[in-house]
Amino acid sequence: MTNRLDNPLQNSAVKSRQIAFFAAFVLPVYKLLETPSLLARFAKGDLLVPAFLHFVVQAALLSLLVYAASRSETSLFERLNARLGKWSALVYALLALYFLCIAVLPLLDLEKFVYAVFYDTSPTVFSFAAFFIFAAFACTKGLKTVGRSADLSLFLFLPAFLLLVAMSFPATKPDNLLPLFGESAKSTLDAFAYTTPHFADAVFLLPLIGNLRYQKGDGKKIVVGYGVGAAFVLVFLCVFFGLYSTIAPREHYAFSKIAQYFPVLSIVGRIDLIFVYMLCVVLFFYVAAPLQYTVYFGAKIAHTTRKTSISAIVCFGAFLFVLFCNKHYNAIYALFCETLFPVFLFLSIGLPVACMLFNHKENRNA
Amino acid sequence: MNTPSKLQTDLQKNKTLFKKLLPAEDILTYDFQTADGVACTLVYADGIVNKELLAQLVAKPLSSLYLHEKAGGMYASNENPVKDAVAQTERFPELKVLEKPQDMLLEVLDGNTLLLVDGLSTGFVVGAKFLPVRAIMEPPTDVAVKGPREGFIEDIKVNMSLVRKRFKTPDLRFETVRVGRRSQTAVVVCWLDGTSKTELKDDVVQKLNALDLDIVPDSSYIATLLSPRKHSFFRAVGTTEKPDIFTAKIAEGRIGILVDGSPIALTLPYILTEDLQTSEDYFISPSMATVFRFMRFIALFIAIFLPAFYVSAQIFKMQLLPLGLMLTIASSVRELPLSPGLEMFVVLFLLETLKEASIRMPKYVGMSLSVVGALVLGETAVSAGFLSTPAIIIVALSGICLYVVPNFVETGSLLRWLYLLVAGSFGPFGIVLLTAFLLYYLLSADAFGAPYLAPFSPLLPHDLRDSLFKYGLEELSTRPRFLRSKNRTRLKKGKNND
Repeated sequence: MTNRLDNPLQNSAVKSRQIAFFAAFVLPVYKLLETPSLLARFAKGDLLVPAFLHFVVQAALLSLLVYAASRSETSLFERLNARLGKWSALVYALLALYFLCIAVLPLLDLEKFVYAVFYDTSPTVFSFAAFFIFAAFACTKGLKTVGRSADLSLFLFLPAFLLLVAMSFPATKPDNLLPLFGESAKSTLDAFAYTTPHFADAVFLLPLIGNLRYQKGDGKKIVVGYGVGAAFVLVFLCVFFGLYSTIAPREHYAFSKIAQYFPVLSIVGRIDLIFVYMLCVVLFFYVAAPLQYTVYFGAKIAHTTRKTSISAIVCFGAFLFVLFCNKHYNAIYALFCETLFPVFLFLSIGLPVACMLFNHKENRNA
Repeated sequence: MNTPSKLQTDLQKNKTLFKKLLPAEDILTYDFQTADGVACTLVYADGIVNKELLAQLVAKPLSSLYLHEKAGGMYASNENPVKDAVAQTERFPELKVLEKPQDMLLEVLDGNTLLLVDGLSTGFVVGAKFLPVRAIMEPPTDVAVKGPREGFIEDIKVNMSLVRKRFKTPDLRFETVRVGRRSQTAVVVCWLDGTSKTELKDDVVQKLNALDLDIVPDSSYIATLLSPRKHSFFRAVGTTEKPDIFTAKIAEGRIGILVDGSPIALTLPYILTEDLQTSEDYFISPSMATVFRFMRFIALFIAIFLPAFYVSAQIFKMQLLPLGLMLTIASSVRELPLSPGLEMFVVLFLLETLKEASIRMPKYVGMSLSVVGALVLGETAVSAGFLSTPAIIIVALSGICLYVVPNFVETGSLLRWLYLLVAGSFGPFGIVLLTAFLLYYLLSADAFGAPYLAPFSPLLPHDLRDSLFKYGLEELSTRPRFLRSKNRTRLKKGKNND
């Protein structure tokens, strides 16, 4: 009998546990940043409803992806290569472009967040440039490291999130969320539509799942992991609206300040910031991930394992974009969330569905 | 000079050959004859052989030996009976017969004595090495309140015996590799057969054989040269001076390396959490050990981050400090001529300089150094208004905390400088970003097949039992999974263990 470690065919770059952890502990962290205020802006007290709808849709798409991965001993990308040959480069190019585009909002959000949360003073625009050194370094590493960062995020996200929520709980008024379904259906649908780029989770996991050599039980792990991540976000949204109520739409980057009303902090200082900084490490992992995927697909197209130059180009390009476009933050946000949301909706659903094209069941004894 | 492949039967020619091969003046020869007049010569390095033993157990028996008669009258015609006769006369337990002059030469340089007999083209190597060694004592870098106090010394044979006496099993294996073109230092790879990964052992031996350096003054040379990332802040090889820790690590399935001339043994693969563990953790209650490990982790956190957070709080983010403390600090630093970053840099520099000086300074000057360091530099600098009291307190606290994890002192010290630099330049954002950067670096820093951040990443729930946490012996019945040991069980839950 051979175990998984002995059989090289069964050794994926990323383990299913790591994908589950990525879904549970890395994906939620970006949704704690600008998403709560955006949801509150459109759906007000019903902000849980569009978020829940998003999670249901994404969980369904994720299940579809996992199902596609489970249909063979080879990974999705291996099947893609086998079926399309050199034309698979075109698919990788599209994916690279897609991930480069969806990196834009997190990058802009992160920049604003850094200036707002890390500084009392007005930092220079180049202060944020250091992030791209980290991103460029991360991009030179493979997907294996992305998987490991998910493992590590368990120890950063879980205690930090739970402590922040616990510290903010005494000041929370859950009845602010009542009555449930008090807003119009249009408001809820608007909130759903405008936050689509924030919830494109299934496709965010595509590069990881695409490399997974499926084992029995992997699908359950991943979907449960996503469910846990969704629960974290919903709990946070409850606390967020319970705390801020009608002023919630103006409370940006809420996770950095929800615990500040905890009584002990006036005596010992803002120790909650330690937990905020722990979440920030995970947030950096999250924001670097689409750039890593872009470089990963770029390297696949170029048939090279040396990613340094591709990484430098991608990250320098992203830096220039942030440098020149940060003044047009609102316009870009409106473009992505209000104008381009059908495109995102189409892609975030279409890409996982397209993977079903490669779900032919292979003869496992072959 | 080229070494011939074989000796001649003429003793004088052989002596001349060795004089040419070993021209150093500490290489001596001692000539004597057997009872029937056959000439013999001992070649040895002065100062590292036991001359009394040589005289009693080699020269004296041979001087009274009638070699022609003992060899059955075949002295001139056949070498084998003569060789046997000499070998039987010698009363040494360590006696080797060598054919190649090159091998004989290495043995003489290693401290053994070469016996050459006229008429024989072979040499006898007598293990009469006598190297002055210091006594086995408690290592200064690895002091334990509870548990064994023996420490390795510079002699590899003694170190091997300290390991052997803890493993009374044929599974304990040693393999010697000579490293260093000129030093020919014995480097012994040590492993537990059937437990350690054979591929890892083979890989280490292969890498050691491939090393091409002049001399090996210490095991740290081997550690550096074996490391996959030569310029990393983080070491890839574990070190210990204590045989009990060394054997415990080998028993877990690691590979050990002993280097002649060094009291510091190496173990690999090495992971970061090993630095938080001490031998005492295994001799006290698991709950206490867990508390101490968390305390060490927090101390390490304070040592590395506190100066950086202090600087970034003053320059970029005052909210990090409670109001009362902020007012105290504000009043202390009001009239300082230096910026917070520069002030912290100066105090840290003073600490590091004092540390370096106190290590190298003769003991009788140490007291003066303490007075100069604590009173003149500390007290006077504050009263003169060059430095603030909070900065000195923070650096002192950071310095003390760093020594809670002694194996991490060098790395921690470097990281403290680095964090101070980014804190002064980018504030808390720089600190968090550098942390993310270092974590990402460590995530991908596998060495010798082991992930550096195991068991946290990749997550190995079983191995968490002996990481920041310390479970009882019963729960640690299997070996750590990250080592992928061939034999997983180390404590069988039978009737004696329940």
